[in-house]
Amino acid sequence: MTRDTMIDGWYPVSLASQLDAHGRSTALMGEPIEVRRGEDGNAKVTGGNGRALPACIRYGHVWSSLGDPQKPLFAIPEADQPGRRLVDVGVVRVRCSPLRAVENFLDIAHFPFVHTDILGAEPHTEVQNYKVEIREDEDEVWATQVRFYQPQAAKSAEGGITTEYMYRVPAPTCSILYKTCPPRPGEWDVITLFVQPLAEDLCDVWPWMALFDDETPMTDLIHFQQTIFVQDRSILENQIPRLLPLDPGMEIPTRADLTSVAYRRWLKRHGYTYGAQLVAQ
Amino acid sequence: MKLYDYVLSPSCYKARLMAALVGVKLDIRPVDFHPGAEHRGPELMALNPAGSIPILEDGDLVLTESSAMLVYLAAKAAPQWLGNDTAGLAARVQQWLSFSHRLTASLGAARLHEMLLRPGNIDALQGQGTAALRELEAGLVEQHIRGQRFLASDRPTVADIACFPYVALAPDGGVSLDPYPAIRLWSRTIRGLDGFIEMPGIHRLHELKPEPVPVVGEA
Amino acid sequence: MPAQSPAGPVALWRTRSGRAAAFADRCPHRGMRLSHGFVRGETLSCIYHGWSYAQAGNCLRIPAHPALTPPDTIRVATQHVEDGGGIIWISVGEPAAPPPRFEGLAPLRSMVVEAGIVALEAAAGTRAAGGLLDYTHDDRAVRLLLAPEGQARTLMHVLADEDSNPGERIAASRAAESLRRVAEDIARGGIAR
Repeated sequence: MTRDTMIDGWYPVSLASQLDAHGRSTALMGEPIEVRRGEDGNAKVTGGNGRALPACIRYGHVWSSLGDPQKPLFAIPEADQPGRRLVDVGVVRVRCSPLRAVENFLDIAHFPFVHTDILGAEPHTEVQNYKVEIREDEDEVWATQVRFYQPQAAKSAEGGITTEYMYRVPAPTCSILYKTCPPRPGEWDVITLFVQPLAEDLCDVWPWMALFDDETPMTDLIHFQQTIFVQDRSILENQIPRLLPLDPGMEIPTRADLTSVAYRRWLKRHGYTYGAQLVAQ
Repeated sequence: MKLYDYVLSPSCYKARLMAALVGVKLDIRPVDFHPGAEHRGPELMALNPAGSIPILEDGDLVLTESSAMLVYLAAKAAPQWLGNDTAGLAARVQQWLSFSHRLTASLGAARLHEMLLRPGNIDALQGQGTAALRELEAGLVEQHIRGQRFLASDRPTVADIACFPYVALAPDGGVSLDPYPAIRLWSRTIRGLDGFIEMPGIHRLHELKPEPVPVVGEA
Repeated sequence: MPAQSPAGPVALWRTRSGRAAAFADRCPHRGMRLSHGFVRGETLSCIYHGWSYAQAGNCLRIPAHPALTPPDTIRVATQHVEDGGGIIWISVGEPAAPPPRFEGLAPLRSMVVEAGIVALEAAAGTRAAGGLLDYTHDDRAVRLLLAPEGQARTLMHVLADEDSNPGERIAASRAAESLRRVAEDIARGGIAR
């Protein structure tokens, strides 16, 4: 498995709020790294052989790369909108491919079975048609006009509503979800999944949110999102094979899986295959 | 009754589950255990110097051990869950309540390590967890031979609720439950109890509901 | 429930009407283990997206598309199952003969031993014959049906005398625990050497 084309990407390696001089030992794509706050207050990241790695702080997290990033970190313009509450959900480790973690985040059909009575409930299991495209200018995967019936779409939601979603994949291990915002019609809540690839079959997942919600206590917002993600975790650790199969014969998508189909096609096109399996084994 | 609670903590879940099963309404006070480490902050340390959660407050009474919370909830609302009928039964309940602390120390610590990156010797923790699961499996096999479905009796007691959460969540810590058929049956029986509630990592038993008539063309 | 077969992991399940089935333990949709799924009536459903499968392995229902009849090509590999005398048998391919019957014996429990059959034989002090190992512990005879899961692991089914009382059955279960401890010690020693 090659990791070359993904090596120049940016990956989350720590919460910015937990950055200290003592540092955090972690890993990126199999290489041990150290993340700490330098004397100038900036994030310092060092690789396995002591070499300095690129570092930046954005969207509540420290980002780094093993290679030489050709582009700045992707933009989330909504994150800078005044009035949003930024929620550090915290890390959860999962024994799965980083790409499987992202693909699960793009999936809505599992809501009634895995997030029962929160994000979905039988008999409201149907996935209506939605639009999927690979936007060539931005080089991102987008799914729009995604609608799903949800018993409790957000911490601030009271009762069941049909929620509208947009999904965006700006980098192979990061996804951004835009979701109907009950207190502010016309605006979108931003919920992200930032995945740190530790190995091809092991990742640290850092969910993060930028919400319009002045009512709900911060801890409740954190617990809501941790609940959702940990419900997914036992699925992710029991998918076979552990790596994401890019061989079309290996798994059977339906119309509901068009986002995942586009995501896999986009990964393949760019050679983003760290955590993927190209041929059936 | 106020519970200082973390949604991903199996020990907190014991108190929530027990309260749900015996019909006690808890006033939940969420604690930012992860990533905020609020349980180590001044407010909660003043309440519980051990720096652990859950904490159950009822008037002047402050409990910081989950087994004590189970006993308190049962004694208040549904004393049959205490299993006090005979000396033997009372002792078996205590035996499993004490045993449950070994589950916390092994499977619970393995789960914190594997999921929330807490320090620990993972091989040793998983090994101790497996040893505890084997003991539980053997105990449940013997109960089954005696014609009893639960740990201490043929009806559920606080002992079952003390042991269930860390066992059901063992795979979160990388310890498989596949080798334990008696644990699987017991776990399903508990999950099917009236008033049972889940926590993240324990899925709904969808088989308890009949196949719904699908809704087509909604939204 | 999950189980092992020579053809790989299987999801073993029983329909509401009582018929046993063995599926490859992987939903063809997104690879989720079917042994985590749920049984409603005569179907097994995947916990991930609720895809339901009949006992023959064909997909009956895709909840995301309730109006769709799934094509017959969506199916799970199945294995032949025989359910007799309280023991479930799986065969890869068509079985040449029906599984053996153990007259006078009742199955008590199944347990995983982290040791191969050689270590179990050494622990019992006898040789297995036809997959059966006789073990005498404290003057009590226990019969063990062994199914190897690779070289270093064995699924051991404990069989007790049909007429035994609960006390004797508990003793048989404990004897099997003792045998497992000794066999695993031997297996560990073997690795150390």
